[in-house]
Amino acid sequence: MNGKTIITVFDYGAGNMHSLLKALDIGADVEVRLQTDPEAALETDALVLPGVGAFSNAAGRLASGAPAMRDAILGGLPTLCICLGMQLLFDDSEEGPGAGLGVIPGHVRRLRAKRVPQIGWNEVESLDEALPQVAYFANSYVCDPDDPDCITAYTTHERDRFASVVTVANTIGVQFHPEKSSRAGVSFVRDFVNGVIR
Amino acid sequence: MTLTRRLIVCLDVRDGRVVKGTRFVNLRDVGDPVELAARYEAEGADEIVFLDISASVEGRGTLLDVARRTAEKLFIPLTIGGGVRSAADVAQVLRAGADKVAINSAAVLRPAVLEEAAAMFGAQCVVSSIDAKMVDGSWRVFTNGGRTATDLDAVEWARKCERRGAGEILLTSIDRDGSRDGYDLDLTRTVADAVSVPVIASGGAGAARDVVEVIQSGRADAALVAGILHDGVTTVYELKTCMREASLPVRDAA
Repeated sequence: MNGKTIITVFDYGAGNMHSLLKALDIGADVEVRLQTDPEAALETDALVLPGVGAFSNAAGRLASGAPAMRDAILGGLPTLCICLGMQLLFDDSEEGPGAGLGVIPGHVRRLRAKRVPQIGWNEVESLDEALPQVAYFANSYVCDPDDPDCITAYTTHERDRFASVVTVANTIGVQFHPEKSSRAGVSFVRDFVNGVIR
Repeated sequence: MTLTRRLIVCLDVRDGRVVKGTRFVNLRDVGDPVELAARYEAEGADEIVFLDISASVEGRGTLLDVARRTAEKLFIPLTIGGGVRSAADVAQVLRAGADKVAINSAAVLRPAVLEEAAAMFGAQCVVSSIDAKMVDGSWRVFTNGGRTATDLDAVEWARKCERRGAGEILLTSIDRDGSRDGYDLDLTRTVADAVSVPVIASGGAGAARDVVEVIQSGRADAALVAGILHDGVTTVYELKTCMREASLPVRDAA
């Protein structure tokens, strides 16, 4: 070990990671890694499940390491789960076949609104000042936890009020894209990294 | 609050530089895409679009490098369009740093490209770019930067793109593009009512009032602006202030 805090971003092989990697890379104390192997991804100080791709494709990429990842997250590995990454914390999704990690009991369902996907900036309804107040969303599906206790923020699209932030153990899942939510979003990502370093 | 209405800034990129001109002629260099995109973010733009108008293979290679450098500096969504032919091209552009990819001519030639891209990356990153022009009383789809007419009806085509997996429609009125006479409200409203995915109106913005109108009366989810910003006719700040005064939900720049 080189003494640096290691942040590992799990790579489903889809989508843009540059802005996220840049937001996570807060300086010399941190080493940000990309990892395509779900078990190897757990050899880290913190894990990030990023937000771009389709549920089935990502679930397939995670499958071989899903039980180990579930145990690590429930065991307290600090984890930031973005958009699709948040959805992967749940059991399954209406978007397509494949199993999520099952960290939070519940399902991922389609948004109940006329305009789907929800694309744009929306309010993150929460009293938690560490969260951005307005953030960028790009999603057709949302998470429905069986037990609402894990929900720390809601967002409303048309008339559908859904969980936009969930927390469990040392894991936070956000339905928005902090790495695309300008200054407030980037500070949120950096707060997560700083929380791991301490 | 509800989902805000977006103001999207479009930059034409040729061989790695932002250019400005009238309908692809008299092009003039106006700056570095990375710097201009970051500046528009700072001014409060909600998203950036790069439209690649490079003529050469080398120019396209340069665009991927531009995307990479932009994504490291830009913390709002970036859409890239122009010359995307296949799902493999979509993968390459996303991987380089785009959050969404706009597909135009390639989808007309082979609509399955939309399905393939949506299945791999999700509908939210697949933007169907439709260039429409009034011909004999109906809106016809044109390809190749407005040069080639097709037999497709623009409204029908928008519905088909949605069924095929597009998560957004970027709708440009060729009749209004560059005119500064305002967006084509009828075209925008007709397409916005015909589909469930968000519609981005493009072509014809001359003043802040036009942006407000295309959202209120044209029922667009977002308005794309280019020339009026690059020529200094108005600013992002002024446009968003006008949107706010018209009681549209908008995001305040942080």
